[in-house]
Amino acid sequence: MNIANYLYLSALLFTIGSIGVVLRRNSIVVFMCIELMLNAANLAFVTFSRINGNLDGQVVAFFTMVVAACEVVVGLAIIVTIFRSRRSASVDDASLLNR
Amino acid sequence: MLTTPSFEYLLLSPMLIILAAAVIGVLAEAFLDRNHLPVIQLFISVGAILLALIQIYRIKSSSSTSAAIGSVVIDKATIYLQGTILIIGLLALLLISDQEQFVAQASAIPGSREEQESTSKGSIQTEIYPLLSFALAGMMLFTCASDLITLFVALEVFSLPLYLLAGLSRRRRLLSQEAALKYFLLGAYSSAFFLFGAAFLYGISGSVYLVDISSAVSGGYGNDVFVLIGLIFISVGLLFKISAVPFHAWTPDVYQGAPTSVTAFMAAATKVAAFGAILRIFYVVFSPIANQWRPIISVIAIITMVFGSAVAIAQRDVKRMLAYSSIAHAGFILTAVLALNKSGLSAALFYLTTYGLSTLAAFGIITLIRDATGEVTDLNKWAGLGKKSPLIAGSFAFLLLSFAGIPLTSGFIGKFAIFSAAYETGNIAVVVFGVLSSALAAFFYIRVILLMFVAQSQNDSISIAIPSVKSRIAIGATTAATVILGLFPSLLLNITQSFSIFIK
Amino acid sequence: MSILTVMMLICVIGAGMLFFIPTAKTVLVKQISLAISILVALIGIYLVGSLDKTQSGMQFVEIRNWIPTFGINYSVGVDGISAVLILMSVLLVPIVLLATWNESENGRWSVRTFQILVLILEVFMIGVFAATDLFLFYVFFEAMLIPVYFLIAGYGSGERAAAAVKFLLYSLFGGLLMLAAIIGTYVIAGNQIGKTFDIEKLSTLQIDQTTQNLLFLGFFLAFAIKAPLWPFHTWLPDAARSATTGTSVLLVGVLDKVGTYGMIKFCLKLFPEASRYFTPWIIGLALVSIIYGAIVAIGQKDIRGLIAFTSISHFGFITMGIFAMTTQGMSGANLYMFNHAFSTAALFLIAGWMIARRKSANIADFGGLQRVTPVMAWSFFIAGLSSLALPGLASFVSEFLVLVGTFTRYPVAAVIGTIGIILAALYILIPVQRALHGQTLKSNENLSDLDIRERVAIAPVILLIILLGLFPKPILDLINPAAKTVITSNGFSDPVSKVKK
Repeated sequence: MNIANYLYLSALLFTIGSIGVVLRRNSIVVFMCIELMLNAANLAFVTFSRINGNLDGQVVAFFTMVVAACEVVVGLAIIVTIFRSRRSASVDDASLLNR
Repeated sequence: MLTTPSFEYLLLSPMLIILAAAVIGVLAEAFLDRNHLPVIQLFISVGAILLALIQIYRIKSSSSTSAAIGSVVIDKATIYLQGTILIIGLLALLLISDQEQFVAQASAIPGSREEQESTSKGSIQTEIYPLLSFALAGMMLFTCASDLITLFVALEVFSLPLYLLAGLSRRRRLLSQEAALKYFLLGAYSSAFFLFGAAFLYGISGSVYLVDISSAVSGGYGNDVFVLIGLIFISVGLLFKISAVPFHAWTPDVYQGAPTSVTAFMAAATKVAAFGAILRIFYVVFSPIANQWRPIISVIAIITMVFGSAVAIAQRDVKRMLAYSSIAHAGFILTAVLALNKSGLSAALFYLTTYGLSTLAAFGIITLIRDATGEVTDLNKWAGLGKKSPLIAGSFAFLLLSFAGIPLTSGFIGKFAIFSAAYETGNIAVVVFGVLSSALAAFFYIRVILLMFVAQSQNDSISIAIPSVKSRIAIGATTAATVILGLFPSLLLNITQSFSIFIK
Repeated sequence: MSILTVMMLICVIGAGMLFFIPTAKTVLVKQISLAISILVALIGIYLVGSLDKTQSGMQFVEIRNWIPTFGINYSVGVDGISAVLILMSVLLVPIVLLATWNESENGRWSVRTFQILVLILEVFMIGVFAATDLFLFYVFFEAMLIPVYFLIAGYGSGERAAAAVKFLLYSLFGGLLMLAAIIGTYVIAGNQIGKTFDIEKLSTLQIDQTTQNLLFLGFFLAFAIKAPLWPFHTWLPDAARSATTGTSVLLVGVLDKVGTYGMIKFCLKLFPEASRYFTPWIIGLALVSIIYGAIVAIGQKDIRGLIAFTSISHFGFITMGIFAMTTQGMSGANLYMFNHAFSTAALFLIAGWMIARRKSANIADFGGLQRVTPVMAWSFFIAGLSSLALPGLASFVSEFLVLVGTFTRYPVAAVIGTIGIILAALYILIPVQRALHGQTLKSNENLSDLDIRERVAIAPVILLIILLGLFPKPILDLINPAAKTVITSNGFSDPVSKVKK
């Protein structure tokens, strides 16, 4: 199987994720789309690691996972505080700043 | 036989000290008595920054080298940028330590009884100190990172604490939390772009080190489309951090919603760190293919300058106005990136320092203008401020003049240095647009000055808080720096000249 | 240390001293600033007196490193042209301070602030004429705007805030265009002779015609806005109407001269070929200014607006004299700058007193002042006659020189310019006739004449106008060598008279 297909898949996932961020309204879903983008990047890294024949790309993938985990912690903390304040996680409701 | 990698601890020590302070801060948070925590935390943070500054001073003349197995590069420019970040951090810390802008208990629901109780008890979220230290360490690492992993990790290490800090305002908490949410979502979005770009750069070079990527890019082998994808996506991630148009959408909201002293820190220090990385990446990695990205970045610089200046005119909130002004300034500094020569780098270093200090001073002054409900950022209510406190209003007016780039202020020398560097490399269109948008920008700065000094005040509800000693030091020092560096810019220019060296 | 630096330092120290005097002691504050400005004026007279007239180069030179990284120096020095303009500035300041003794009291801020602003402005005025470093000149050029802005916005009347903003934005816009041109010149210098802002060195650059034209335009626009030349003049009448009398005098008398001075010192010197290229256009603009200013002045109801528009007409003459590129035209233009300052100052000051007494700026509200307040009326009359260039009064000599100098090269322009003189007779004589002569209006019956202070302030101005009309030689002797150098060193030459052939 052509290894370039993995890159196409990665690009597809990244596109889906980035479109999702723009279109979806629930902040949790938006956040999940971002995670999808990070994982698309991870896939690209691993594919390139295979193409280049060294392990650096896979190491990056591990780092990304750790960083993504940290991001989840911070992100969920912020989303939950907002949710507790206004009982909604929609980004449209968070519009006090758009006066 | 494996050899132990050498780690050059001395060169890394400024960052390690700050990181250690952050970790100790977290431990102190867990184990020490709540009543003493504010003092202890402040002491830890300030002490660590001072120590780190001493270390910076000690390594300032050491020859440029890579450290930590090639993951970071400690060259002259890095040392300068790290020093600048630390100084900005120290001054911002003095502002931040005036606790009353921060929420008493971040987890309490706004308007709840729990919140009222913790406020009346006077409890304090001392976690801001370790968060600030983490952010500082991340920023320092960001300026010297020389492989993709370190770059990405540093980016996140300084961004994550800032997301949290943005949501901790005591007054108008919903606004603040929304700002944090926006900042977080858009920030994470942009770092995904950064990472995706990094993947392609790794793809064409087979290495995560910037040196190898640079030679792969200049060698021309590999796939040109991949180079472009990598270049563009990485640029998006970085341009987001400096809030260049069209990646600026978060800036006004976050600047407005975050506690003002945090805004001051963000505006000043993030710019230094992000531009440090941008300068390194464009000067070191992408300079061989400058013909490909120069047109794009030129257009972005022009749009950023003009848009930032034009939209600022319509703002009624002083923090939003400064946010748009910071967008415009990002455009000016991008001009220096275009220059791609030593004078451009030196000009950018000078500009970053002076702009950072003036911005700190401006936001510091905003924290002092209050009424019964807290800070007043509505520009209409600033009318007649000149009568109430000529000194404060005069200082603010002077800072605005510096932002506008009127001669005898540090802002003017910075603009001059940047524009002449850009002109040298033939970017005349950018210079002309830059100059014109300066005129545009001057319009709204002058409008604010007019408002403070000439307009009649409609109400007398605003008052000027007596600044604490710490704020007084921070505002005084930064304003004085703006004055002194305007009159005697050589003091700093000589330093930036000798420190404007990037190594690969 | 150069005497020029000393003059600036005295003003700075004076302003610093005032800062430490309590706001309430207004009289003391005024006395101190008056004393300082008189001291500086005396030094200025000494400066001009001790200038070596046989020498055409810079004198009283001082050069210090300021920003070595960019090759920027603090360098000052004067030749005949700039010395005369400095003399003009330092003479006007004490006259203004004395003449408008009480004006600063109705401002938004304290009297002390007013005096400090005036003294700081004086520093910049001396500096802008003395600077021999392009960067230093630009710094003074722009910095000057700030005190003037506050003087208009804080102490003026009517739409003062709007007028101040308009003034500042026009000037800033021009200034920033000039900054772009300065950067361009600097970069070219960096490529050819090394980083420098020294005007003498910059004038040796070899710049190709297209670049030179663009850079020239950058400079010229800034100066044309400053001067002001039609169609960039609209800020001036507004500013003159809203500012206090004293500010108007300094604005029109000194600040606007920076524009014409800059044309001589920078446009001609740095870009001679471009200057030659644009000369026909600029002469055209100057002519439009002369005629337009005069015609609009005739229609003015506000007496300050009238004076402002006459100035626009006069600046047309000055610009025409400069770009005629003849020695006579150049000398005439320089002398015109000096004379215009005093005749306009007299007009503005007396108009200010008239307005303060009558509480109206409308020309129609005056009438028969000659009978009620003879001293005031006569002073205004003399100043007005000087403004229309009556022979025997100051402006005549300079206007004559400008027209003769222009005629030798552009006869048509000179003839059209003469129409300006005829219109001048109209715009001065009609209001003089209405305000001073004729029936004394009832409302003007008990206006008081000038008091001792006002007479002391206006006397030297009137005296200068008459003396310079009869004996212009001392000033011309100062100007001529420098004017000749400007013409010859830039490769221009006086056209050979056709009669001789």
